[in-house]
Amino acid sequence: MGSPPLFYKWSSKILPWLSIVSILILGVGLYWGMFYAPTDYKQGDVYRILFIHVPSAILGQSIFMFMAICGFINMIWRAKISGMMLKSAAPIGASFTLLALVTGSIWGKPTWGTWWVWDARLTSTLILFFIYAALIGLHSTIEDKTKADRAVSILSIVGIAIIPVIKKSVDWWQTLHQPSTFTITSSPSMSPDMYQPLLICVIGFYLFFALLLTLNLRNEVLEREKNKNWVRQLFGGLS
Amino acid sequence: MMQSSISDWLTIILRRDLIIAFRRSSTYITPLIFFLIVVTFFPLALGPQESLLSSLAPGVIWIAALLASLLAVETIFSEDFRDGTLDDFFISLEPSFILVFAKVLIHWLITGLPILIASMIAALVLYLPFESFIPMIFSLLLGTSFMSLLGALGAALSLGRSAILSAIIVLPFSIPTLLMGTSVISSSLINQDFSGYLMIMGAMLAIGIPGLCLLTVEALLLNYE
Repeated sequence: MGSPPLFYKWSSKILPWLSIVSILILGVGLYWGMFYAPTDYKQGDVYRILFIHVPSAILGQSIFMFMAICGFINMIWRAKISGMMLKSAAPIGASFTLLALVTGSIWGKPTWGTWWVWDARLTSTLILFFIYAALIGLHSTIEDKTKADRAVSILSIVGIAIIPVIKKSVDWWQTLHQPSTFTITSSPSMSPDMYQPLLICVIGFYLFFALLLTLNLRNEVLEREKNKNWVRQLFGGLS
Repeated sequence: MMQSSISDWLTIILRRDLIIAFRRSSTYITPLIFFLIVVTFFPLALGPQESLLSSLAPGVIWIAALLASLLAVETIFSEDFRDGTLDDFFISLEPSFILVFAKVLIHWLITGLPILIASMIAALVLYLPFESFIPMIFSLLLGTSFMSLLGALGAALSLGRSAILSAIIVLPFSIPTLLMGTSVISSSLINQDFSGYLMIMGAMLAIGIPGLCLLTVEALLLNYE
């Protein structure tokens, strides 16, 4: 799937399946979380925002990791598609990070009594959002798209090297947030009735990201290759 | 033979750029004055109470230092890029890593070093206790050097584009430096051990010199494809 036309053909086949599966799993996870999961004895129904907040926070970080891998591949093998992937993933990652910040803020008001606190996890998520903004901003200022991809690749590699440092340094600086309740490596500290729908939501969000990325990437491929023959043939000779 | 030629190359660039920088006094005066103006604004905006200012001093000095070192970032490569000197450097087949390293060093000499000296004045007017002067200077020494490295990358990526872009690129990445730097001074204010923070800043610098210089070379080469 290295070359753009091949990717386009391959993604056309997989797209219907991907959309059905991702929306189904996301729907099941959210419905389960919103209506069937038990009410929290301390926080009441407010906690249900967790089923959006936690997956989007996880996605915000994972997508950056994904972008850095794309950037690495783009720097070394100069694969065109990896640069386009990097570019298409950036706005999605920024949106999920913003969603995590907004839902966290909405959750914080009834439980902590304030919209925002300068806590380590909140702050590092905010910084992650700024880094996404820097990547998107850099890409939009460089006219040559291939060059823009490579410039953003360089910056995303710096980002992935410095994000752990940011996280650690902000941790030392302030901590109020509850410790992470969701880890794959250790047994969950929350009730299985809540953990199971959350797990499905996370999987659903990942698939939803895959869907969004594919859609975004297809547009990007068409946009960049609009003067190539295969695109012309695909759209019946229209430029 | 090879060894001496690399160090010769480094001295040639350093000497050339230092001469250029010192012929135009604005290059090293502007960041200095900017730093002092920003520092002055805080007492004006927050009021002149001694207790308030001395507790805010670490943050104020560090924010001013970050902004001042960003101010001159654009000049690192832009002039050489515009008049074609940079092209010649790349054509000359001398190691471009050394070129970038020299440019970073020059940027530190004309912004970091003046800020380091001016920070002592800033610390005086913000009533920072004398005991904190040494930690402040060490934190600024390591921090501004790292900022010069980051700034060079930002300048290389935004070469020929708006100056504000390099600031937006660099600022989010400078947050660990800001946090560690202020922590060094604040811990010294309450007599805590601050060497750990300095060690991490040093580690960042040690990784940053090879890592960021190489990425800066890559970023510069983007303009010659």
